[in-house]
Amino acid sequence: MIEDEQFWGRQIPLPQAPVNSATGITALKQVGNRLQCQRCTHLLAPTDRLANGEWYCRQCLQLGRLTSQLELYTIPEPNRFVTAPTGGLTWEGQLSPQQERAAQAVQDYVKARKNHLLWAVTGARKTEIVYPALAWALAQGWRVAWTSPRVDVCLELAPRLHQAFGQVAQALLYGGQEEPYTYCPLTICTVHQLLRFREAFDLIIVDEVDAFPLATSPMLQHAIAAAEKTSGCHLYLTATPGDQLQKQVANKQLAVTYVPLRYHGHLLPQIDLRVAWRWRAQLSKNKLPVALIRQMKAYLATQQRFLLFVPHVVDLPVITRALQLAGIQGGVTVHAADAERTAKVQAMRDRRIPFLITTTILERGVTFPNVNVIILGGDDAVFSTAALVQIAGRVGRSADAPSGEVTCYCHTHTKRVRLARGMIARLNLQGRRLGGRK
Amino acid sequence: MNACVWCGRPLHQVVTLNQIWCWAPLTQSVACDQCRQRFTAITSQRCPQCGRQQTDETVCVDCQRWTGRPLTNHAIYVYDEAMKAYMQQYKFQGDYALRLLMQEPIRAALFREHYDVLVPIPVDQATWQKRGFNQVTGWLRQAPFQQALLVLADHKSRPQSAKDRSARLQTPQPFTLAPNAKEVLHNQRVLLLDDVYTTGRTLRHAANQIYLGGAKAVTSLTLAR
Ligand SMILES: [Zn+2]
Ligand SMILES: [Zn+2]
Ligand SMILES: [Zn+2]
Repeated sequence: MIEDEQFWGRQIPLPQAPVNSATGITALKQVGNRLQCQRCTHLLAPTDRLANGEWYCRQCLQLGRLTSQLELYTIPEPNRFVTAPTGGLTWEGQLSPQQERAAQAVQDYVKARKNHLLWAVTGARKTEIVYPALAWALAQGWRVAWTSPRVDVCLELAPRLHQAFGQVAQALLYGGQEEPYTYCPLTICTVHQLLRFREAFDLIIVDEVDAFPLATSPMLQHAIAAAEKTSGCHLYLTATPGDQLQKQVANKQLAVTYVPLRYHGHLLPQIDLRVAWRWRAQLSKNKLPVALIRQMKAYLATQQRFLLFVPHVVDLPVITRALQLAGIQGGVTVHAADAERTAKVQAMRDRRIPFLITTTILERGVTFPNVNVIILGGDDAVFSTAALVQIAGRVGRSADAPSGEVTCYCHTHTKRVRLARGMIARLNLQGRRLGGRK
Repeated sequence: MNACVWCGRPLHQVVTLNQIWCWAPLTQSVACDQCRQRFTAITSQRCPQCGRQQTDETVCVDCQRWTGRPLTNHAIYVYDEAMKAYMQQYKFQGDYALRLLMQEPIRAALFREHYDVLVPIPVDQATWQKRGFNQVTGWLRQAPFQQALLVLADHKSRPQSAKDRSARLQTPQPFTLAPNAKEVLHNQRVLLLDDVYTTGRTLRHAANQIYLGGAKAVTSLTLAR
């Protein structure tokens, strides 16, 4: 038998009704002349059929296959939590006056159950800005989800929230999680996992809302909408909102709070553009731009550590060879499918290696004290405007080293690079008004 | 536009000159090159009995331990990480569409085998209900086959993949002959078809039943070893 609380605010696929008050809806529902998955909204193709004649949804297969034999069972979310007046907050850190102002604004919007965007520059410490609002929500007995399109963001966040909210039961959900699901006031999960919920959350915090693939995935956008109670609200967190969010803000459809300054009060480093004409053609001859080599040698000579961003995984071995030929050694490559990724990132943090050569996977979520950044081929389409701003944001993260250099080598000036520079300039203009220093 | 059945990336149909010259029917490819190249084909340097990839062509240690009537197995691919990932999504997550990915390799492999009757390893009734398909027959497009074996209703205790080698080797006979089996098997060369050759236990149980049904020779083909 499955316990009642497993059904609270969730949708559990079962072949027949369980012996409790759960109600079911058919998992694949007839819409016109097609079937639609009621978990992920995918419209089934005529070929999505099994040998025994049943239908199945391919889109949300990773969460366990839904077939036309199944129904999704749910019990409405009862908010059965033990609450504390503090909301279980055990964090003892201090917010800067600027963070404090933003935290107050966020809390006001949450109290009013209004959807809201917290646009905080990289290094503003946006997580902590949300703590007071989260504590308030938990003190009310709200059920809260802190979610992100990126699993590494969730994995990094979970121990932090565990520390900051020591008295709050928390569940961490992601594909490959081996711990069983538990009913908790605070759920930290990938957006994907929200597909298992229905009208469960009073507040959904969407961290790195612009990160791939949320902006282009109707399924994931549906996941957030369906997991939120009709009386609920959501809070988007990002340093680099995409066009759609910016438009919603401009049209006053979405309230926004800006945090244009980093927590240490310094401005964002601006991207320095250098033309590297036909760098890709040069690279195929094992040659790198002269200015790049000079710059890297200068960094190595002064023991200035740095990240070298390149467009594609296939570029990594080519660039490594070209660097060797140029007499530059000690760099370590890292990419998304790299089995030693975590170890390499840690080695860079521990200052055991002078520089990392990386694809865009290190664009966000990772912090190294006192690094500079070089982008080779910033004109490549993999570097979106948001990615470039995020990459620039790796520089100057710590209070001891609040500034640094971001250099971008391009064959031509692209719109994306120009927009990224424009976004940084605008944020810095706002930051200067608040007393930001270079 | 068509999309790769495994990774979902758009497919660019390429028509080769050869296809045009030969008036060959344009076969619709179902997977992208990257996905198809993830698998490792077994070369001629393999165990002559179980078909496993080796660096020479001698009978492997596992095969030397088998007693009784020998069974020659051919396998198409190495059971590596890519194959595990494929089987995981196809068989265990139940993504029936992925059968399309292996239909062509299976067809080509069957073409190279010498047999009269093809007998796929069956799944039991409960699996059929739950999974909704037999993962082996899913790979067969036009090749005729005979469901000469049935799974005994009471055989199931634990799934094969959860057992270690010694536990698997002790598994009792799970198969019985279908009612019409003796007619179709009598004096025939039979080829068994299964997904993965792990210990060879399942295939040997099947082969024993097929011999009881009157077959004069039994060999087997598996997708992976
Ligand atoms: Zn679905
Ligand atoms: Zn593919
Ligand atoms: Zn062998």
